[in-house]
Amino acid sequence: MTLKFSLCFLLVSVLLLASSCAQDPAISKEHQTVFKIGDHPTWADKDWDDNNWEKRIKYVPDGQVFWSRTKIDILSAPEGLRPYGLQIDVYGEYEIFWDGVLIGRNGNPGQEAELPPEGKLWITYGIPAHLATEGVHVLAVRLSNYYFPDHIGRYVIEIADYEDLLTSLLIKTSYMHVFAGAFLIISIYFLFLFLNNRKEYPTLIFSICCFLIFALVLTVFSKDYVPVHYGLHVIRLQIINSFLLGISFLIPYYFSMQFPYPRRKLSLILYAALLIFFWLKGGHAFDFKTVSMVLSMWCFSFGMVAYGVYKNVRGARLVLGTLLLSIAVFLASGFVVSMYTGMGLILLGMLYLLTLNIKAQRLAYENSLIQSTRLRLELLKKNIQPHFLMNTLTSLMDWVEESPKKGVLFIEALAKEFDLFNQIENQTLIPIAQEITLCRTHLEIMEYRKELNYFWEEEGIDQEQKIPPAILHTLLENGITHSLPLEDNNIRFKLIFESNIQYRSYTFLTFAAGVRQGSSREEGTGLKYIKARLTESYQSSWDLESEPTDHGWKNVIKIYN
Amino acid sequence: MNILIVEDESRVAKRIERLTRDIFGEALQSLTHINTLHEALAFIETHSLDLVLLDLNLNGEDGFDLLSTAVSQSFHTIVISAYKDQAITAFEYGVLDFVPKPFNRDRLEQAFHRTVTKDKIETDKIKVLAIKKRNRIQLIPIEDLLYIKGAGAYTELFLIDEKKELHDKSLEKLEQLLSNSFERIHKSYLVKMSEVKGVTVASGSKYMAELKNGVLLPIGRTKYKDLKAKWF
Repeated sequence: MTLKFSLCFLLVSVLLLASSCAQDPAISKEHQTVFKIGDHPTWADKDWDDNNWEKRIKYVPDGQVFWSRTKIDILSAPEGLRPYGLQIDVYGEYEIFWDGVLIGRNGNPGQEAELPPEGKLWITYGIPAHLATEGVHVLAVRLSNYYFPDHIGRYVIEIADYEDLLTSLLIKTSYMHVFAGAFLIISIYFLFLFLNNRKEYPTLIFSICCFLIFALVLTVFSKDYVPVHYGLHVIRLQIINSFLLGISFLIPYYFSMQFPYPRRKLSLILYAALLIFFWLKGGHAFDFKTVSMVLSMWCFSFGMVAYGVYKNVRGARLVLGTLLLSIAVFLASGFVVSMYTGMGLILLGMLYLLTLNIKAQRLAYENSLIQSTRLRLELLKKNIQPHFLMNTLTSLMDWVEESPKKGVLFIEALAKEFDLFNQIENQTLIPIAQEITLCRTHLEIMEYRKELNYFWEEEGIDQEQKIPPAILHTLLENGITHSLPLEDNNIRFKLIFESNIQYRSYTFLTFAAGVRQGSSREEGTGLKYIKARLTESYQSSWDLESEPTDHGWKNVIKIYN
Repeated sequence: MNILIVEDESRVAKRIERLTRDIFGEALQSLTHINTLHEALAFIETHSLDLVLLDLNLNGEDGFDLLSTAVSQSFHTIVISAYKDQAITAFEYGVLDFVPKPFNRDRLEQAFHRTVTKDKIETDKIKVLAIKKRNRIQLIPIEDLLYIKGAGAYTELFLIDEKKELHDKSLEKLEQLLSNSFERIHKSYLVKMSEVKGVTVASGSKYMAELKNGVLLPIGRTKYKDLKAKWF
C-alpha cells in the first residue's frame, strides 16, 4: 500500500534528521556571561578582572556600547589542522574577541543610530587554531543594541569543529528544503485540481495548508543563508507565527469538513477566536504563541477525528493514527522536530482523506457512465422486449390474414415508432414535441393491438421544453398495461404542463376503469427507468408522484429550477 | 370441447378464437374469452371446462397464481405467451403445452392435438403437481409421488410419506403429463416405474407389481406384455 510506504518513508527521514542533529560529546563548557556598560579596549583581554561585572543588564538605551565576557573551557584541543568554530546569535551589532584577539565584526557597534543597519543575526566564526588550546578562554563581545534596548544578553553559543558547524547547518537546511519542496509541489498539484473542480473546497484548503507549511519551513530554515539583521528578527517571527496561525486554523477546519459534526460553525468561530488570542497575546514570547497554537490545533483536530471514528467515517481511523503518531514523535524527540514531522503526518492523513474522496468521485462518475449506457440500452429494449414485440407481431399476423390493408397501416405505425426511437436513442434530453409524437404513435399501434379507442389530450404544452427521452412514453405504457377501457371502449390520456418560478411540472392523467397497481415487473422497471432518467438530467432536483384517482391514475413529474 | 381463452390483447384473443373454431369445428361446444385475471379465476371455479388457453402476462400482473390454480383443475392448460423463458416453469407446473407468440395455425393445432391424442408426450419437464386445498393451492413435487389411483373423475395421489391427496385431473390426463417416468399398469393405476421392485404372481395367475415399500398393485392382463417388453 502506497500510504503505508510513505508513512514508513516519513518515519525514516525523521530518524535520519534526528540523527544528523545528534551531538558529539561536548568539547567546551560555557561559564556565566557577565556584562558591563561602557567601552574600553582592555576589556577584551583574557586576564581582565570582571568580578564586579553584572550578571544581567536589563536595559541599555540609545545604542550605547556595552561589553560582555564569557569564560569558556575548551575540554579538548582541535586535532591537526581542523580549526574550531564558534556559532553565535546575538541581538546587536558587535565586535567579537577571543582571548583579546578580534575574530569577527558584525555591523557597527555604537554607531547604529547614525549608520544604516548592518550585519546579521546568525554567524559562524573561526577560532584561530593556536588560541583553541585546552583550558580556560575568554569570549569578549563589544556591542550595542539600538533596536531592542530591553533585550540584552542571553546568547546562544556553540563551539565545534568549524567545518562540521557549517556542514551540519547545510545538511539540516537542505533536508528541510526538500521537505518544503514536497509540500510546494503537493500544494500546486491540488491547487490545479481545485481550479478544475471549483466545488471541491477541501482540495483548496489542503492546497493552502501545504503552501503554508512550505512557506513556514522556508522562512524558518532560510536564516542560514539569507542574512537577517537582528532588528528584523521580530518581524520574521511574526511572519512565522502568522503562517502557523493559518495552518493551525485550516487543519482542524479541513477535518471539520471531512467529519461534519453538530454546531460546526460555532465551534470553528470559537476556535478561531482562541487562536487569534494566542497570536496577539504574550508580546514577544513567540515560543509560547507557537506552542499554544500548535497544541490547540492538535487537540481540536483530535476531537474532530475522534468524532469521525465514533461516527465510523471512512478513513477516520487512519487519520487518528497519524495524530497519535505525531504525539509519539513529540514525546520521543521534543517540540521542534515533532512540530514539523507531526504536520507532515497530519497532512499525509489529510491527503489520504482526499484520495478517498477522489476515489469515491471516480466511482460515482464511472457509475454514471454505466448508468447512462444502461438507460440507453433500456430505451432500445423498449421495442424489442418480448411483451411488446411478440404481441405486436401476433396481432400483425392476424391483421395480415384478416385485413391486409389494415395490416399495412399497422406496419407503417410500427415503422414510425421504430424510426422515432432511432432518433432519440442516444440523447439525454429531447424536445417535448418529439416525445408527444412518440406517445401518439404508440397509441396508434396499441389501437391495432387492443382494438380500443385511445385519446390523447394535452394542455399548456410549451414547445420549447425538453425532457428525458421516453419517460412520458413509459408512463403511457404503464397506463395502457394497467387499464381497462371505460364503458364506451375508450381510454383517455391527458398531459398538462405547468411552470412557475420554482418548478416545471408535467401532469399525466389516465382516464380508465379498473386501473390496478400491482407489484408487477413492468410497473417496477418502468418507474425505475423514469427515475433514473430524471436523475441523469436533473440530479436530485425533481419529484415524481404516482397515485390512483377517481377517474384512473395520476402521475406528476416536477422539475425544480 | 369447452374452451376458455384468457388473454388481454384483444387482437391476439380474436386470433386464438378464430383459429380454435377453425381447428375444432363441430367438436367445439363453447368458447369464452376473458381478459382479466380475477374474472378468469371466478370463471374457472364456476364452469366446467376441457381446456384453458392462458396468457401469463395479464395487465401487467403475474400470471403464475392463475397458472397454479389452472393446473390444479380437471382440465388441461396450454400457455400462450410472449416470454419464451417462462416455458420451463410452465412445464414444471404441468401444462400440456407452451405456445410462444407469435404463433400460426399449425403450431396451435399441434398443441390442441395433444389434448385429444392417446399418444404419450415425451416430456420430463414436469416437476410438481398442483392440488387444491382449502383456500389455497399446494404444490406436490413429482419425486414425492409413488403411484396414482383413478377414482372416477378425479384421482388419488399416494405419496412417499404414506399420505394420500386428491387431484381433480383424471388418470388419463395425468398419464399424458407424467408419461415419461410413470406407467399405466392397470386401468386404475399409474405407477412410478423407479419405485417398482418386481412382479409377483398371485393366485389365479394375477400379476402384481411390488413396490419398494412393500405395496402390491395389480397389473392389467392386457398391459402385462407391453410392460414386460418395455421394463423387464
